Amino acid sequence: MKNILLKTKDLSKSFSSGGTMQHVLKNIDLELYEGDFTVIMGASGAGKSTLLYALSGMDTPTLGTIAFGDKVISGMNQDELAVFRRMHCGFVFQQIYLIDGMSVMDNVLAAGILSGKDKKEILQKAKELFKAVGISEETQKKFPTQISGGEAQRAGIIRALINSPDILFADEPTGALNSKTGLDVLDVLTEFNRQGQSVVMVTHDIRSARRGNRILYLRDGVILGECSLGTYVGGDKERHEKLSAFLKEMGW
Amino acid sequence: MKNCFLLVRSNLRKAKGQAAAIIVLIFLAALTLNLWLMLSMDYRQNFDRSHDRLHAGHVTLAVDGNIEEMQGFIEKTVENDERTDDFSLEPSMHMVGLFQYNGGEVNTEFAILERETALSASVGRAEIVEDSEFTSGIYMPMLYKSEDIAVGKTIEIFIGTKKMSYTVCGFFNSVMTGSHNCMLCELILTEDKYKELEETGYAPVSTLCSIRLKDKGKSEEFETMLKDAVSSRYPGVRSVSNSYALVTSSRYISQMVCSGIMSAMSFCILLIALVVTASNIVNYIQENMKDLGALKAVGYTSSQLIGSLMLQFTGLSLIFAMAGAGLSYGLFPAINTMMISQTGIPYEIHFLPVPFLLTLIILGGTIAFVVWLYSYRIKKIEPITALRQGVRTHSFKKNHVPLEKAKVPLNLALALKTTLSGKKHNVTVCITMLVLSLVAVFSGLMVENIIADTTPFIELIVGEMADSCINVEIQAEEEFIQEMDQDPRVEKAYLYNSTGVRHVGGVELVATICDDFSKVNNQKVIIEGRFPKYENETAIAAKYAKEQGLRNGDEIALASEGKEEKYIITGFTQISNNLGKDCLFTREGYERMGTNQNVSYYLNLTDGTDIDDFNTEVKKKFGNQANAAIDIKATVEGGSSVYVSLMTMIVIAVLILSVIVITFVLYLLVRTMLGNKKREYGILKALGFTTRQLILQTALSFMPAAVFSTVVGVTVCSMIINPLTALFLNGIGIVKCTFTVPTGLIAAEGAGLILLAFVMACLLSLKIRKIAPKELLMGE
Repeated sequence: MKNILLKTKDLSKSFSSGGTMQHVLKNIDLELYEGDFTVIMGASGAGKSTLLYALSGMDTPTLGTIAFGDKVISGMNQDELAVFRRMHCGFVFQQIYLIDGMSVMDNVLAAGILSGKDKKEILQKAKELFKAVGISEETQKKFPTQISGGEAQRAGIIRALINSPDILFADEPTGALNSKTGLDVLDVLTEFNRQGQSVVMVTHDIRSARRGNRILYLRDGVILGECSLGTYVGGDKERHEKLSAFLKEMGW
Repeated sequence: MKNCFLLVRSNLRKAKGQAAAIIVLIFLAALTLNLWLMLSMDYRQNFDRSHDRLHAGHVTLAVDGNIEEMQGFIEKTVENDERTDDFSLEPSMHMVGLFQYNGGEVNTEFAILERETALSASVGRAEIVEDSEFTSGIYMPMLYKSEDIAVGKTIEIFIGTKKMSYTVCGFFNSVMTGSHNCMLCELILTEDKYKELEETGYAPVSTLCSIRLKDKGKSEEFETMLKDAVSSRYPGVRSVSNSYALVTSSRYISQMVCSGIMSAMSFCILLIALVVTASNIVNYIQENMKDLGALKAVGYTSSQLIGSLMLQFTGLSLIFAMAGAGLSYGLFPAINTMMISQTGIPYEIHFLPVPFLLTLIILGGTIAFVVWLYSYRIKKIEPITALRQGVRTHSFKKNHVPLEKAKVPLNLALALKTTLSGKKHNVTVCITMLVLSLVAVFSGLMVENIIADTTPFIELIVGEMADSCINVEIQAEEEFIQEMDQDPRVEKAYLYNSTGVRHVGGVELVATICDDFSKVNNQKVIIEGRFPKYENETAIAAKYAKEQGLRNGDEIALASEGKEEKYIITGFTQISNNLGKDCLFTREGYERMGTNQNVSYYLNLTDGTDIDDFNTEVKKKFGNQANAAIDIKATVEGGSSVYVSLMTMIVIAVLILSVIVITFVLYLLVRTMLGNKKREYGILKALGFTTRQLILQTALSFMPAAVFSTVVGVTVCSMIINPLTALFLNGIGIVKCTFTVPTGLIAAEGAGLILLAFVMACLLSLKIRKIAPKELLMGE
């Protein structure tokens, strides 16, 4: 029996646009489990990113609740949400979003030191993680604009993992990368998930999605269905076919 | 041109806040600049206009005695001098007088004239500026119009030691003799009251001689010649005079001080406005690199792009400079009222085109120049490069404050990173805080030395201070000294007599005679060298010595009552009351050439002694032998109250201006920073930084520059403020200013400035609250 990390009840999100209400998420009941690599898929405008922002405390729902353990994060104010994100979440963005004015190492440390943990430990962990994803010491000293997109995204993953978050949220992490560097990034995410890191990833790329063990399909703000794939193993043809069949069934 | 207007409109839409901040600074600069130009270019000229309108003299001399022979001599001397243009001799009375004014006392030499004589004098006539139905009483100089001295009220005036009461019938303007700030002040009595006073004999009759010269620049020279001629021919005859040079300086001290401060303020604000504009232009180019590249790509020339910026900034500057200059006319009446209370000469406010145009030219010109200078780099932008590079707000040469090694808390470390990568902001903050430090030090100096405790200011202006001054006839001197020696209320009594001497080949100097200078209370009167000790020694005004090229140890020829003697200069004095034209003698020294007809003694009285009662007692005891008994403190306080209120208003005004300036400069910088770092703040919020932490980081990022420049500014300004103040006050004879620099107060002001900057930066950064991480994600 897996532990529940996040649980939503009647989660709804609406936006007012041009005088009409757009209901982007509609009464979503969802449980996210510890150690899972959950992938949220769906067509453009299905509400994938909105769901991700709501789950991660980046945005607040219009209705419903989101609970992290015994904490109801949907009722938190902005500062409480910031602390929640700091202590429990890690983020990997499509556009990477490293801060241009800081070195790669400082980008990671800025997030790490913020948690209030011992600086030496943070530094040690940062070095280990950089080594694990193949970013050299020289690259760590460079500024984001001086490194490649792949290196930047791997640094982004390190920044997301530096505080050992309970959940790593990734929004189209390979969207801005070419296929080779995209695969490298997926390998990194997969490896950390293998080591026990819970991951929630939004993607519309089937190659990325098959890395997950649980696939949720969203359409018009509703979870239309889900598919369990088991642990990812490279070159697993059956897994790919199962996912393709599921997506076909969902109308992908 | 039409294209330029389109760009201007687009730029203004994008940066409304920044434009507003620059507008406010330009507005304030124009306001203070126009006020300064009006004060310096027209206010003083008003004296000349009044002088010409009243056909006033350039030398006014009151000589005791009304004998025909003496009048004939003066007439002949004046007439035969080729410098004379016109003159008149009028019968008058002349005596030292005293009355209550502004909570203190006015004590000076008065020329008392009958109404019709004063109004019809062919040279130097007075003009009634406020009249009434009262037909018997006194007309006072306009300077003294106040709550207590008003039409219909009774004024008590001591003529010598005799008290007279008069109904105030009105007020008059006399340019040469309308203020106690000069040697001779005029009072006008109605015919009946004039006759009444004449009959009492309290004030000796005298001849008031007004001479208009062909060249007003020769007033001091002529005055010296005339006084010398009179004293040579009639030794022992009392005379007192005003020269054009003395009157123009002494009646415009407040105007000089106010316009000096106004000019400093206007240039400081202009400097800040220019720095802010330059910073804004650089920032604009950085932020709009892609747009500029795109505009160039579609065919806009560099000149058109620079032209649009010139049009935008210069156009706005001119519009708001006009508004600022316009508003200065709204403030001018208040300043005018304040000035008139010191000058005593009515000034009618009217539109002054030259200062107005100069304000526009200076502001428009400097802003246009700065815009051109800093937007010139647009010429170097190549469209393709600009489009590719886009925004580059950081220098990547160095990773400032690496977090790995930083020993400071995270928020401070991140703030320091921002500080060290934002040189433009630092320069703007530094210049602003340096200027404001000067303002803080100046206001601290004024509070300490003029507003809270007037003593240092009074010592600087007046020279010597004591409790009481008694003037007695020379025959009564011995008895007076004995009496004072025996009186337990008298702590110290010393001769401190003032008279006039002539510097041979120079001008008339006010001579102060003391039996022993070691007894004087204000030893700071000598700023270099020492007081005279021996009969062949003198100390002279530092300003005058500098003008004449005289040094310590030089020999100087001085004359009085037609007798010339040589003296060795032992020191330099600074008594601004005499506008830098004075000298000191021992009694023996002065008596080598002149004689004392009467003598003034300064007295220090024991604590608790009522000075008025004491003076009344002395006057009663010595009767006609006592010419005057003055409460010096009350006299000085009365005279200085105008400067105290003027300075209080100036300090309040400059402090308010400082708060406005600091607010708008920071507003501009914070706005720019938030614009540049919106994405960064979004990322940091997503990572878990709270709004409060980001506000703190933003405010802290300004602090290193603010603290550094304030500490340096306050320290340096504290060291240079006295010489700087002396420079401002040079016109009134101050060459060395010895004001106490209130270290504690100035340090507190510096800390207050830093705190204000921090609080303002925090408040202005509150906009960070609106930056949400989801917007960052959705925006992409």
